[in-house]
Amino acid sequence: MVQTIAVDLKKSHIIGDLQSPKMNFTIEMALNDQGRKGNGLLSILRKLKSQPDKELRLLLLGLDNAGKTTLLKKLASEDITHITPTQGFNIKSVQSEGFKLNVWDIGGQRKIRPYWRNYFENTDVLIYVIDSADRKRLEETGHELEELLMEDKLANVPLLVYANKQDLLHAAPASDIAEGLGLHTIKDRPWQIQACSATAGEGVKDGMEWVCKNIKKK
Amino acid sequence: MIFIERVFVLKTPTMRLKRFLLRYFPPGIALEYIQGGKTKTKMLGLSSLSTRTNVNELAATIAADEPLVTPSVVPQLVESLCKLQTKLSDASNHWFHNSKTLKTHLLPLTNVAFDKQGKRCLTGSYDRTCKVWDTDSGKELCTLKGHKNVVYAVTFNSPFDDKILTGSFDKTACLWSAETGECYSTLWGHTAEVVAVQFNLQCHLVGTSSMDSTAKLFNIATGQEVATLHGHTGEVIALKFSDDGNQIITGSFDHSIGVWDTRTAKRVGILNGHLQEISNCLFNHDGSLIASSSMDKTAKVWDQRTFSSLATITGHNDEVLDIAFDYKGHQLATASTDATACIWDVHSDFKLLAKMKGHKEEVSKVCFSPAGARLLTASLDRTARLWNADTGNCIQILDGHTDDVFSCAFSYNGDIIITASKDNTCKIWR
Repeated sequence: MVQTIAVDLKKSHIIGDLQSPKMNFTIEMALNDQGRKGNGLLSILRKLKSQPDKELRLLLLGLDNAGKTTLLKKLASEDITHITPTQGFNIKSVQSEGFKLNVWDIGGQRKIRPYWRNYFENTDVLIYVIDSADRKRLEETGHELEELLMEDKLANVPLLVYANKQDLLHAAPASDIAEGLGLHTIKDRPWQIQACSATAGEGVKDGMEWVCKNIKKK
Repeated sequence: MIFIERVFVLKTPTMRLKRFLLRYFPPGIALEYIQGGKTKTKMLGLSSLSTRTNVNELAATIAADEPLVTPSVVPQLVESLCKLQTKLSDASNHWFHNSKTLKTHLLPLTNVAFDKQGKRCLTGSYDRTCKVWDTDSGKELCTLKGHKNVVYAVTFNSPFDDKILTGSFDKTACLWSAETGECYSTLWGHTAEVVAVQFNLQCHLVGTSSMDSTAKLFNIATGQEVATLHGHTGEVIALKFSDDGNQIITGSFDHSIGVWDTRTAKRVGILNGHLQEISNCLFNHDGSLIASSSMDKTAKVWDQRTFSSLATITGHNDEVLDIAFDYKGHQLATASTDATACIWDVHSDFKLLAKMKGHKEEVSKVCFSPAGARLLTASLDRTARLWNADTGNCIQILDGHTDDVFSCAFSYNGDIIITASKDNTCKIWR
């Protein structure tokens, strides 16, 4: 079962909300509420009861054109032929290994990046997506990741890096990227780098398995 | 409920009686008088008053029994009684029109509430705010911001209506000024979502209940926790103070209802007997009866003093989702997943008085009109309906919502209705 909400940042009211630092949408519960049997508002409470700790909030970040939305859609087994740059954010909830993963895909364009911080709170796992074939921007993506890892609200949050677009010929191997990003110097959190191709669907599941395993350890 | 309206002031300085205060439902008159320099009140309950009562005779009886009521004020007493009588007549032929549609929040709505006069209403939302609305103009008066998760429970401190209490999935409750929207205090302590909140009528305590299986009492003035009510083994999803404020009942997913003394914070009784989760629990007006509804397809009526079950109401074929007493506490309405609502006589033999059939899907909310002649129901079939409480006939279908209607309420005067829907709008009907 997959639930989706997409919000366009261009709508001014949303922007107004996002600019408030306290605003940090939790649509997870609203998503739960859909497709319910009924019972008015009581169903919300029954839902709360039935799913105590098994919900995870995954934050999907990375530069524009890294393939975040494609990855998200692949996770949800959706059609990936028509994907346009994300103006706001997409949220999907996906079932995996008994967990309900609420994945937040936030647009990666430079002008949207300042909004990322609105979504940091209550993150269980940070997923950072990299276009392995875009060697020119490896430095930029490394810089953004470095900033993220210094955020207080993301302290100790496990990190999964997807080295995406491995299907492209000139893609850098995951090991090179790990070195380029200095992942080996991360001591304050579990981390993992996973080579993948979101369009082909290779490696995506392996990454999510790591996520679920890491949560179980908690 | 002690809802009081000021009527007039007796200006004769030698008179010890200062003024009459009227309570519409249930009808009553409070005598405000001065004794030894202090202002005191004395309540005259008139629950037997009906539209057929001869008010002149009643006034004469009161004057004979009550030394404060001197012959010179009898005409004013009669006038007050007439006013109470008018309120009781309940304009049951009134046709409601959708006067305003409030496009409330971008994200789904949760609970809604009226103030006593029906001038303002509250909406809680997944967008983490609570909004205060002017029901006349349909305009937003203020947005209460500060919660870090869904605002689920909302209420005014009727009859004063100068404060608002909100309960949130962020595990806190917040106390706000109803005028400025300023947050007076955040009530901390719960370890899971706060899903029910209430002020006591005396307005010095608030009660909160949570998915953490506890309820808590907080002091309004200080915002400090007064007590935690431990004892339930499941989520506490309903909480109600008795009108005198000395007791509080809690309904839980552990299938039981707890009765607590608010002065000692001790559990004085536990109502066992339901076989599944409790969906709601209530006191009647004088606090002598407790009613509860459950997912086990029944509702139960309990004696408040002995904690024994007086009756089990078994007329529904599916979960009972909501219950309501009429102001006299003589009738109990039940709403069920089986798409019907029923009215039961809880004064004598617990018989079925009327069955409201017509909704096409489950009825999730039910309430009486303040004077008790009509019943209002909200349903998943996207309508709210008004029914004649005596006959069970549908008087009016309030339609126009484009998704489930999950909440409905009458204003205290009975002349305004609010409905809230999953389509994220509220409709005001007059």
